[in-house]
Amino acid sequence: MKSALTILIADDNPSDRLLLGAMLKQFGHHVIVAKDGQEAVDLFDPEVIQLVCLDVRMPHKNGWEAAVEIQNLALDSFIPIVFLSGVTDPVALSNCLEVGGADFIAKPYNPALVTAKLNAIARLLVMQKTLEDQRDAMAWYNEQLVHEQEMAKEIYENITHSNCLNDPAITTYHHASHTFNGDVILAAYKPNGGMHLLLGDFTGHGLSAAIGALPLADIFFDWTKKGFLMRQIIPEMNARLKSILPANMFCSAAFIDIKANEKNVEVWNGGLPDLLFFSQSKKEPRHLISKNFPLGAVSPTRFECVVEPISYVPGDTLISYSDGVYEAADRNGVMFCESVLKPLYEGDVKPSDSIHWLVDRLKVEGVLDNPHDDISCLGISLDTCIGVNSLSDQEVAGSVDLPADFSFEYKLSAESLRTTDPLPYVLQIITTVPGLSSYSSQVFMILSELYSNALEHGVLGLDSSKKNTLDGFSVYYKEREQALASLQDGFVKISAKVVSDKQLGQLILEVEDSGKGFDYESLDFTLGSTDVPYNRGLALLYQICQKISFSNGGRTVTAHFHWRPEKNT
Amino acid sequence: MVENVFDANVEHLVIRVNGRFDYSCHKVFRDAFVLAPRAKSYEVDLAHVEYLDSSALGMLLLLRDYAGGEESHVALTNSSKAVNDLLKMANFNRLFDISE
Repeated sequence: MKSALTILIADDNPSDRLLLGAMLKQFGHHVIVAKDGQEAVDLFDPEVIQLVCLDVRMPHKNGWEAAVEIQNLALDSFIPIVFLSGVTDPVALSNCLEVGGADFIAKPYNPALVTAKLNAIARLLVMQKTLEDQRDAMAWYNEQLVHEQEMAKEIYENITHSNCLNDPAITTYHHASHTFNGDVILAAYKPNGGMHLLLGDFTGHGLSAAIGALPLADIFFDWTKKGFLMRQIIPEMNARLKSILPANMFCSAAFIDIKANEKNVEVWNGGLPDLLFFSQSKKEPRHLISKNFPLGAVSPTRFECVVEPISYVPGDTLISYSDGVYEAADRNGVMFCESVLKPLYEGDVKPSDSIHWLVDRLKVEGVLDNPHDDISCLGISLDTCIGVNSLSDQEVAGSVDLPADFSFEYKLSAESLRTTDPLPYVLQIITTVPGLSSYSSQVFMILSELYSNALEHGVLGLDSSKKNTLDGFSVYYKEREQALASLQDGFVKISAKVVSDKQLGQLILEVEDSGKGFDYESLDFTLGSTDVPYNRGLALLYQICQKISFSNGGRTVTAHFHWRPEKNT
Repeated sequence: MVENVFDANVEHLVIRVNGRFDYSCHKVFRDAFVLAPRAKSYEVDLAHVEYLDSSALGMLLLLRDYAGGEESHVALTNSSKAVNDLLKMANFNRLFDISE
C-alpha cells in the first residue's frame, strides 16, 4: 500500500478544518472535507477513503453518531476513525474509543504529534491490508483445493466402485475421516461365476492414502475379468504397490475369493483384523488371522501368499472390517476389540445383521462423529448363486456374428505347469470369436474343470475323495501346492477347435494329460447325488456341454460346446 | 515425544517413543535416525507407547529400509500387548526382532 492516504475530515470549525487539511496535504495525503457529521456520512465511500477524522461536536450529527454509521457503511473493510477534540474530559475521550475510534488527536493541533499518529495508523493499515490479502488468498486456495478434491473424488469413486457392490449378498459400510477414504472395498464377478472381493486399508488417511488405491483397483478389476486367480492377482498387486509407494506406505488388505460352484471360499489376510466366518452349525465364529505381509510392504521375493480355504453352506456369513473399527475407542476410551466387539466374537450377534449391528455400535459410541481413521465394514452372505448369472451386464454390444473356423494346441511342460496358469490366455483366444464372448463364463468353467482335473488327478495323481471333510479340503490344497512345486515330469495338452457358421457354433475342447488315466466307465454324473464337496465339476460340465467323452484310458477328455450365433443389436 | 541414544562403542542406536506413536511423530521419528550417526544395529523402545497406528508401522518400515532392508538389524522392544497385537497383525514379527 502507498503511504499516501485518502483522508476524510469532518469539522464544523472552518479554521480547524483548513489547518488539519493543510497539514495532511503537506504530508502528501489526499484530503476530502465535510462540514458536519451528516456530510461526512454522505461523502464516505469505503472504496476510496482509507482514514476518517471526525470532530466530536458537530451540528446535524455529532462525531460519535457519524462514526457508527460510517462503520456500518464500511462493512468488513477496516477503515480507522480518529476523533478530533478540544475536550480533555476522560469520559468523552473513552466514549470515542468505545464507538470504535482508533485514536484521538487533541486540539490545538501539534504538527509533530499529528505526523506521528498518522504514521502509526498508516502502519496499521498496511498490516491490515496484508492480512486481508492473505486471508483472501487462503480462502481462494482452499476453495480450489476443495474443488480439485471433489473432482478427484469423483474420478476415484468411478474407478474403485463397481456395480458388484450392489449384489444382494454384499453389505458394505464406508465412513471416511477426510474427503478421501484411505480404505477401499472392491468387488468383481469372476468370468466363471463367483466373485473376488478386496477390503484394503492404506497407511494414513485422505488423498495420499487414496492415490494408492488406483493401481490396486486397476489390477484387481482387469485381472479378475481376464480370469486370473487370486493367487496370481495378489502377488501382482504387491509388486506394483511396492514399486510405486514410498517405503512407509502400504496397504493392509483382505482378499476373498468366492467359488460359488464349489461352495468354497478362499481368504487371504495381510495385516487386517481377523475376518470372522460364521457357520450356521457353530455359535462362535472362526477367526481368519493375518498370515501375510500387507500389500506393498515387502519385495516380491519376500512376499508369500498364504490362503485359507473354507467350505460353506448357503446362509453362512463372512465379515471383515478395517482397523478403524478394531481400534476405535468406545466412550470409556477402551478399544473396540477389547470391549464392544466381544458379543460378536462370542456369537451373540445374528451374523446376517452383524454389519448393521457394528455400524450401530460405532454410532452409539460416538466414533462416527469424530473418526480418527477411515472405517470400512464388509459382510458377505455366502450362497451358491453369487456371480453365477452376472455376465448379462458385461455383454458387449456386437454386430452380426461372423463365422469363425480355427484350431490351436497348447502343450504345457512340467515347468510351465509349475509356473504359469494358461487359462486366461486360452480363454482370451477362444473368446475372440464374436458370438462366443457372451459365453465366456461357460467356456471358462469347462476349461478350468478340464484343466484342473488333468493337472490334479492326472499329472499330480491327487485323490479328490480327500476333499470329503473340512480338514481334508485344506490338506488337499496343501498337497496340491507341494506336489506342484516339486513337479519334474508330465504335461497337459489343451486343444481347441472352433467351427461356426450362421446357424451353429461349435467349440471342441480336448485336454490330455500324462497321468495314469482312470476308470471313466464307473463315473456317476448326476448332479443330485453329489452332495459331497468334490466331483461336482464334471456333473456341471454335463449340463453345460452337448457331449463329454473320454478316451486314451481316461487320459483324454473331450468337451463339445454348442452355441447359436444370434444377431445382436 | 521421541528421544534417541547412540552408543558409539557398539554403534547401536536406541530410539524411544513416548505416548501416541502416529503420524504426528513422523518428522521427529525420521530425524531420530537420519540425523544420528550411522549405526550397525537399531532398537525402537516401545515401552511408553500407548497407541500405535498404521502410519507408525510405515515409519518402522522406513527405519528398516534406512538400516539396510533385508540386511538390517532392527529390534522392537518392550511393546505392550495391544501394541504387540498390532505388530503381529501386520506380520512385522517376521521383519523385526520383537521382544515383549
